Amino acid sequence: MTVGVAGDPHPLLREVAFDVEAGEIVGLVGESGSGKTMTSLALMGLLPAGIEFRGGSVRLEGRDLTDDLSCGRTPREITMIFQHPRGALNPTMRVGKQVARVLRINQGLSAAEAKERSVELLSRVGIPGADRVARAYPHQLSGGMCQRVMIAMALGCRPKVLIADEPTTALDVTIQAQIFDLIRGLVAETSCGVLFITHDLAAVAEMCDRVVVLYGGQVMEQAPTVDLFEDPRHPYTRYLLESVEREVDPRAEEKDVDFGLPGCRFAHRCAEAFDRCVDFPPGVEVGDGHVSACFRHLEENSVAS
Amino acid sequence: MRRYLIKRAGISLITMLGIVIVVFFIVRVLPGDAAAVRAGPYATAEKIAQLRAKYGLDRPLWEQFVDYLVGVVRGDFGTSVRTDQPVLGELLARLPASLELAVYAVVVATVVGVPLGIVAAARQGTWIDGVARVFAILGSSMALFWLGLLMIYFFFFRLGWFPGPVDRLAVGTKPPPMVTGFYTIDGALAGQWDIVWMALRFLALPVLTLGFVLAAPILKMVRSSVIETLASDYVRTARAMGVSPRAVLFIDGFRNALLPVTTTIGIVFGYMLGGNIIVEYLFSWPGVGRYAYEAIQTNDLEALQGFVIMVGILYVLLNVVIDLGYALIDPRIRLGRKVTA
Amino acid sequence: MSRTVPLDLPSPVAPGQSVIGRAVGELRRRPLMAVGVVLLTAYLLLALVGPMVTVDPLRTDPTNQLLAPSAEHPFGTDEFGRDVFARAVAAARLDLWIGLVIAVVSMVVGSVIGVVAGYWGGRVDEVIMRLTDVLLAFPGFVLALILVAAMGDSIPNVIVAVSVSFLPHFIRLTRAEALQQREMEYVDGARLSGNPPWRVAFRHVMPNSLRPAAVQATLVAGWAILTVAGLAFLGVGIRPPTPEWGVMVAEGANDVITGEWWTALFPGGMIVLAVMAFHFVGDELGGGEV
Repeated sequence: MTVGVAGDPHPLLREVAFDVEAGEIVGLVGESGSGKTMTSLALMGLLPAGIEFRGGSVRLEGRDLTDDLSCGRTPREITMIFQHPRGALNPTMRVGKQVARVLRINQGLSAAEAKERSVELLSRVGIPGADRVARAYPHQLSGGMCQRVMIAMALGCRPKVLIADEPTTALDVTIQAQIFDLIRGLVAETSCGVLFITHDLAAVAEMCDRVVVLYGGQVMEQAPTVDLFEDPRHPYTRYLLESVEREVDPRAEEKDVDFGLPGCRFAHRCAEAFDRCVDFPPGVEVGDGHVSACFRHLEENSVAS
Repeated sequence: MRRYLIKRAGISLITMLGIVIVVFFIVRVLPGDAAAVRAGPYATAEKIAQLRAKYGLDRPLWEQFVDYLVGVVRGDFGTSVRTDQPVLGELLARLPASLELAVYAVVVATVVGVPLGIVAAARQGTWIDGVARVFAILGSSMALFWLGLLMIYFFFFRLGWFPGPVDRLAVGTKPPPMVTGFYTIDGALAGQWDIVWMALRFLALPVLTLGFVLAAPILKMVRSSVIETLASDYVRTARAMGVSPRAVLFIDGFRNALLPVTTTIGIVFGYMLGGNIIVEYLFSWPGVGRYAYEAIQTNDLEALQGFVIMVGILYVLLNVVIDLGYALIDPRIRLGRKVTA
Repeated sequence: MSRTVPLDLPSPVAPGQSVIGRAVGELRRRPLMAVGVVLLTAYLLLALVGPMVTVDPLRTDPTNQLLAPSAEHPFGTDEFGRDVFARAVAAARLDLWIGLVIAVVSMVVGSVIGVVAGYWGGRVDEVIMRLTDVLLAFPGFVLALILVAAMGDSIPNVIVAVSVSFLPHFIRLTRAEALQQREMEYVDGARLSGNPPWRVAFRHVMPNSLRPAAVQATLVAGWAILTVAGLAFLGVGIRPPTPEWGVMVAEGANDVITGEWWTALFPGGMIVLAVMAFHFVGDELGGGEV
């Protein structure tokens, strides 16, 4: 998938490719500005005006969604929950009504059925006193409650893939754990796939089966979670993990990514960069389901052989 | 909610007091002898002195002010120099004519401005948006008196579609029995449909003149407000949950965009209370604006002062009403914070 | 949302392009602004050069009353036989000048008050804001009207009155900006390096708070012309026989009903076109609504 600003030759996302299996939680990690949110918006057909698909495809169970997405049509099978849950709910509509509306649209229920089901859904996502909460407005609920409401809405869509865009960054740590449990429970129950977007590596370790590391709109490395943490191969991934160990916030050292560069976008920060890095690095299979996009691997291979 | 209302009422009272103070001191303290201005340019020294005594202008300023303030609170806005009648009574008698004009003009402006603003926002950057934009600029650059003259020239003098700028009804027509003071409503209540029709025809040109100008700020506000709402997180959520773009525009977009728009419509209506001096003069409309015009022409500062204070107070009261309306639409104000969880 | 990717990457500027070249490129991308700039330039030329080439705007001619527009009198003549075009050109000089003076005066005074309110805050701010509320309770036109009525008719009085009526907008704009600037680090820096408060406020905070006010001033110049002409139309402030657009429309108003449209409609059209020119520029610069 390649996505860019209309009229600007340099893509914001370049050949970002990954799979999400049913019942699997895939982490999408990267710093601010790495293209995590842009990726999710592209998958939802919600790219901001002026940003367009350049190439590649999105397939769901063999069906090609690319055309729909590039016309801004949101696929029914994919849905998304956002960070800042309170701002992501309509402030002038009762939350029960917001859930019910989703049910009417996506499950074709009548107004009365939808109302009843919406209360059920709210209690299913662990909201105590769901019938009372259904009549509340978002500003009357805590952030954690709002996130649960949003998850209830997402469930109402019966998604095959759920995109969770930093669902807990705006929440307290204790609430965070509850929301994680909720999402894990729902995956087990409905066996939908989850694309879990975050910059928090601890959350990734806790939640995800596989991880995709994004930097500057390019996939740096993807691997099963255990492999990634135990055997990071890409220089950027190693840098990211070290910065957590050193307790440095990687964002503190953040530099603006130059989207005009043709080659590896991490090259100008990379300690191991060399002359080939001015080209676009290919993904190299370095282990079972473990791919890293760095010319160093090719060098190593050629030296070894 | 109650605390909000009390606070709101307090601020409004302070502002109204401020209005009386400011207007009083503008009229009395600024350079220019109050009595001499009242007497007109050709008055003798004796006449000026006489007026000074009559209106108490020879007494200490603070005494004059306290008197005036007490009067205003009691509903006494002073006495007109020109007609020798109480100013407030004269203003109230003319208010319905102005309000009828204002209400129709704001309705026309809303009916034009709101849909055009929504379309411009939904089709941002297209030619429709461009047309809306030029229309808005034209409206906010328009000189009321010039547009009014154009209307009179084309629709009265050239085409003869509407009556000339003389009054609210044709000369010699008896107004309908007074209930609301709106001829269109009173006529309907009395079953005098010919009067209703005539009143509407006399309203048409001044209403169109004002409506054109007033549509501009409403259009601009609706457009920017809808654009902002459509870019909000909750609209994105609704889209992500499968709500169609059209439903998002009309349900999520419009209701929330409506909040700032009500304020704008209110401000526009408030602006009308004074902006119509020009239009009422041009169309010989017997309202408060025309009264103010006559007061200016005859140096009747007492009457002008009463008019300005009334305009200010009406505007403040109007704002209270708007805020209440706002509170009714917006649950964040209507209901306090945190009821549950 | 995590900070999004910079979407509005600056458009690449070809190296070696001159300032004028860039300005032309900018205007080409914004046609409305180009129209505004061209119109304003035309008006300025008319105001500066026009009165030197037209006939005397005050000369009456009883033999040539109410002549329709012709080659000799492009805008026709009025009921006293005066040349409407000459009067409209003379009025352009007066009206543009008054409009610009009002915009500058109300911007400077309003911004100083706004910075004082925003930077000092507390009681001072409270009093200033309450006063602003009071001034905003009147439509600007009515406020200007009663000020001139109380002070008497004269051009300086009109300038003062109309400037006051636009003050609240500038006070609010600059105050909001100063409130934000106050929290910036450079202000702490200026304070810690021993600058007295007034110096921090006016040398550091104020220049950085002026941008929105400056844009607003473009629109105000237009509206000021509209207000001045509206007052004159009602016979307040500037009186006949001074060649002023509002005065001319008032003088010609009665001719319209008898079919002599040119005496009022030409000067009125010049007002609207001038105000629009200011608007095209101000709107494109990002001027807000009032």
